[in-house]
Amino acid sequence: MSKLAIPSLHQALRKSFTNLESNQKVWKSVLAECSPLMVSLGNLAEQSRALSNVQISNTPLRDFPDLEDRLRFKLSHATDVVLGKLNEKMSSLQSVKDSISNQASGVLQLYEQNADSLDMAAVTERSATTPSVVDMLEWLQDAERHYRQQLLRRKYLLQMLRADDLSSLESAPHRWKSLDSPDAEDRITDTLCKVSFFMESQ
Amino acid sequence: MEGPADDVTVRSANRKCSALTGSARKTKDNAADWHNLMIKWDKLSEEGFNMAANIANLRRTQSDQLQAGTPPPGAGAAELQHECSGLQDVIDKMAAVLTKMKRLVTSQRGVRELEEFQFGGEGRKVPLFHSWTTKQFEDSSCVLLEAFGQELRLKQAILQELAHTTTSDLCMVYLTCWLHQPFIPPQARLTLEALLLETGHRLL
Repeated sequence: MSKLAIPSLHQALRKSFTNLESNQKVWKSVLAECSPLMVSLGNLAEQSRALSNVQISNTPLRDFPDLEDRLRFKLSHATDVVLGKLNEKMSSLQSVKDSISNQASGVLQLYEQNADSLDMAAVTERSATTPSVVDMLEWLQDAERHYRQQLLRRKYLLQMLRADDLSSLESAPHRWKSLDSPDAEDRITDTLCKVSFFMESQ
Repeated sequence: MEGPADDVTVRSANRKCSALTGSARKTKDNAADWHNLMIKWDKLSEEGFNMAANIANLRRTQSDQLQAGTPPPGAGAAELQHECSGLQDVIDKMAAVLTKMKRLVTSQRGVRELEEFQFGGEGRKVPLFHSWTTKQFEDSSCVLLEAFGQELRLKQAILQELAHTTTSDLCMVYLTCWLHQPFIPPQARLTLEALLLETGHRLL
């Protein structure tokens, strides 16, 4: 029985890692597209702040009717547009994360279904080219957890932003950047290296 | 103006394809001209923004140097002068665009007056295109002209003041004004789209 389960587990793991590899690339590129949008958001907040610091009626712009209201409207409109684009990016990140989660839980489920028939030696056995099944399951779970947390944190940050809350908008680019977690990303890259022979086998 | 504007280019070449004549011909051509002039305006505005940003930065560097006690070098002033005259050129070109817009309004008013002469005070009984009356074309043109006229005045004021402003907040407000064009509301883009849709440049 365990002889049959291991190859099918291997097959499922292979598929999951291939999926993880392509999703990691998509994730990175979508995240890179978010950076300029976050910069725009910060710039718009800076412009709104400057407008609040200036008393238009004391400047040469006083002759223009309702300039301040019009400018505020334009600024909040532009902010809305940027936030809308960021939300679209978040949907892309969400689908990347969903795909990784589905793969990870699928493999885990397959393992659990066969857990009774698998003996300890079979799942911990490893060779120079093939890591053990338990290691690979763990790496997959780690990667899934990383993307899940990343998504939640970034989503939360965006959801807390309000067009009329200047200080939150001003600090957003910095806070967004501080969510970057290069170590965790590197670990996933390492994992993919460790399983590269395994992925190519068969 | 924001938004993709160039998805349908209205070229003078397509004008010959349809067999419109008289008021309809004139009105449709005017709509195409509005489209092209507004694109031209946006390009000029973008070009001018970079110059305005340079002016603001040069001015800030100068005042920083003054505060630091180092005498400002003459080169900065020459560069500032150069950028200012560049921005003046851009504004002159925008004024030329506005003059052309004024002509469109005059032309559209002419169409309306002609039709009143032809058909009486009520104007024509059957619409020129889908549903608009001749008066509506004139009104839309007036709305657009009003917006761009006010915006040009604002840009001229910014040019006058920008190089003489030392407070960074006010500088930023000038740049924000230039960039976001507060007197051209998002509705202006919709008005143009309505004009293009009505005259058949955009398909229903």
